[in-house]
Amino acid sequence: MIDRIEFLWPEIALFVTTCVVMVLGLSRRIESRRMTALVTGLGLIIAGVLAARTTPIPGPRSGQVLLPELIPYAKVLIASVGSLLLLLQAGTVDRAEEAAIAAGQRPYDPLRTNRAEYYAFFLFSLTGLMLCASADDLIWLFLALELTSLPTYIMVAMSTGRARSREAGVKYFFLGALGAAVFLYGFALIYGGTGSTNLNAIHAHLAAHGLNLTALAGFILAFLGLCFKIAAVPMHFYAADVYQGAAPQVSAFLAFVPKAAGFISILLLTATIGWSYAADAQGPLYTPITQSAYDALEGAVSMGLPEPIRVFLWVIAALTMTVGNVLAILQKSVKRILAYSSIAHSGYMLVAVLAGPNNGTFSQSGLAAVLFYLLVYGVGNLGAFAVLACLEGRPDADGEPAEIEDVDDIRGLWKTRPLLAWVMTLSCLGLMGLPPLLGFFGKLPLFTSGLAAGEIVLVVILGLNSAVAAYYYLRLIKASLIDPPSDADLPATPTPFATRTLAGVLSAAGVVVLAFVGGGLMDRSERAARYTSMMAVAPPPPPRKTPYVPGDDTPFPLPIPIGAR
Amino acid sequence: MHPGPLAASDLASYLPVGLILLMAVGFAAANIFLSRIIGPSRPGGVVKGQTYESGMNPVGTARKRFNVRFYLIAMVFLVFDVEIVFLYPWAATFPNLSPGTDEGLVWLGRIFFFLFTTVVAYLYGFRKGVFKFD
Amino acid sequence: MSDALTLAQQGWPAAFPAVTLAHYLFVSAAMFTVGLIGFLTRRNLIIMFLCTELMFQAAGIALVAFGRYHLDFSGQTFVIFILTVAAAEAAMALALVVLLFRKRETLSADEWTEMKG
Repeated sequence: MIDRIEFLWPEIALFVTTCVVMVLGLSRRIESRRMTALVTGLGLIIAGVLAARTTPIPGPRSGQVLLPELIPYAKVLIASVGSLLLLLQAGTVDRAEEAAIAAGQRPYDPLRTNRAEYYAFFLFSLTGLMLCASADDLIWLFLALELTSLPTYIMVAMSTGRARSREAGVKYFFLGALGAAVFLYGFALIYGGTGSTNLNAIHAHLAAHGLNLTALAGFILAFLGLCFKIAAVPMHFYAADVYQGAAPQVSAFLAFVPKAAGFISILLLTATIGWSYAADAQGPLYTPITQSAYDALEGAVSMGLPEPIRVFLWVIAALTMTVGNVLAILQKSVKRILAYSSIAHSGYMLVAVLAGPNNGTFSQSGLAAVLFYLLVYGVGNLGAFAVLACLEGRPDADGEPAEIEDVDDIRGLWKTRPLLAWVMTLSCLGLMGLPPLLGFFGKLPLFTSGLAAGEIVLVVILGLNSAVAAYYYLRLIKASLIDPPSDADLPATPTPFATRTLAGVLSAAGVVVLAFVGGGLMDRSERAARYTSMMAVAPPPPPRKTPYVPGDDTPFPLPIPIGAR
Repeated sequence: MHPGPLAASDLASYLPVGLILLMAVGFAAANIFLSRIIGPSRPGGVVKGQTYESGMNPVGTARKRFNVRFYLIAMVFLVFDVEIVFLYPWAATFPNLSPGTDEGLVWLGRIFFFLFTTVVAYLYGFRKGVFKFD
Repeated sequence: MSDALTLAQQGWPAAFPAVTLAHYLFVSAAMFTVGLIGFLTRRNLIIMFLCTELMFQAAGIALVAFGRYHLDFSGQTFVIFILTVAAAEAAMALALVVLLFRKRETLSADEWTEMKG
């Protein structure tokens, strides 16, 4: 029991930082308030260092054993991208209020400022994301996912003073609650079908008894609900509106954090189902089902995910890629283009989830591909949004700085802000997957793992979609790097926040540099994706206690009195 | 052990529930009826016919803006309210821990950490000025 | 530990002997569906929020029933955590709805269509 603490220190560090930030950000002295972001960054760095030093002890009592190496990799990734995101958040809240206080127009009133809350939400969300990675239980996973998402709803609503942001926040919240309810019901059914909320125990149960219909329905519902987090097709409608309504730096946050949480959870759940079953592992299905449904489950005996789940994820992956890319072409707003492209990226990653671990090498393991692509995508997307965050115009009548809307607004960027034009170019090329850059090395394993798993059609769809995606990325590049400046007055006022530019430059540099020194990262992600199925090692699960027989007049087995154990 | 399907005579065990329901409804009805017949009936002025609202004059629309502190106080209440729910299972499990080990100490530490998080919420509310009434 | 025994073990008749797991699951599935349909068809934000709460509690019922069926306390534990999350969501929903209401003086979801595309 106690040894679980050993891999939770990064989360504890982040939580303690959150507590400090909540109180510090409400300080009366402006110097103390300014420290808030600094303390947040310090906490993130400490959490990252602690995560890098974590060595998970294999064993069912210290967390999930299916992907035992996932924890340090995911947490270091979260802390690093989180630090970049933090640089981008400078000046998101309280700008007008702090100016008014500095000018002596009104006294400091803690009820009117949002700084403490904003950074606390930022940290809470990242804590939730880290907790997702360490989850070994459905309850834990549910709480971690909610901890990741709940703060983001408020962050969207408070990111600017515009009515648009509030609308986006409400939209995001309501659809988020719907998604949460769906995967929660899925979790309930998984528990019902397997008798445990512990991922290891569920895996052992599935290995011994096969997948019954209740658990199958549960997994499908859980994936459906998680589609909201990764903005995949049946639940993708919110993405464009929310990304457009939020401030660009918050959109960058949304494009990485909930998506990473969704993919880590999907990886954990698919690992729980397992990509392979021994032919004799299929026990009797204790749920009475029809013959046709039973025939559908026969696929579970072969390699790969069970057939119904494979088909389900296959359809979602194909639709997500296609819908995201086609809609991205039709957009005029830069933020909406990036939003739809992020939907498409989710589809790409789902291909690798489907592929599974195969033989575990970097080029064949779909898990390694997903984990590595999260980094590639996070860094590339951050650069693109950082450019938008840096390009703030003069404040309008309400004191809200003007934002970049259409692609035309970034025309001729090379003349006014050459640095940002290059950041935009490199990020887009990276997201496109052009050979010498990081995106290429991220995308290649998606293809190879898919091929290794025999998903030829899906890989062809993936290839076609990558070609389509090049169109809108090149459009962004052309606007910022080649087109002459438009007649409209470009928002040429430099942003007062150097850290935002720094974040953009760092991520653009990451797209280039990590491509050349990324070998170590690939090894790390390959290690993180090491999949230990308990099919061979696990002891057979205990027999089910008093199975329920329909027609028995005892409706439920009698409960064990608490004191009797 | 199990007595089998519910027999018709077992419905008798629901008799007390029915009686209590009957008494509750009867008491309420009797009170209304009695106050009608023995209460003095003196139609009063304007003030008497007004809606009673905590001794204040009910003026203006109910849709006016409330101070945001009301909302914040409700939130602080919610924190304590939900926190209590977790103390019950903790307290119920505590006696079952193996004696002679330091397991109990660990469990005590955990609940203290949990309570500490509430203290942080309280501290935050305090700094935010939730408990300041002016 | 005789006081810890359930009523059924002490020889009391079970209240509804014919109620099985399936009954609970049916109630839970019905609640979930009602919530889902309500969420998709109603346009009042408060009602929509109530519908998501209905879906959360439907999962809670399923969990408790399954917990009893498996003789396992995880289901009940899960429900306590669901209640907590539901409370947090309620607080947030009200805050967001009040924020919007102050701008537009309406609770209809159709009124907020600044972004379309």
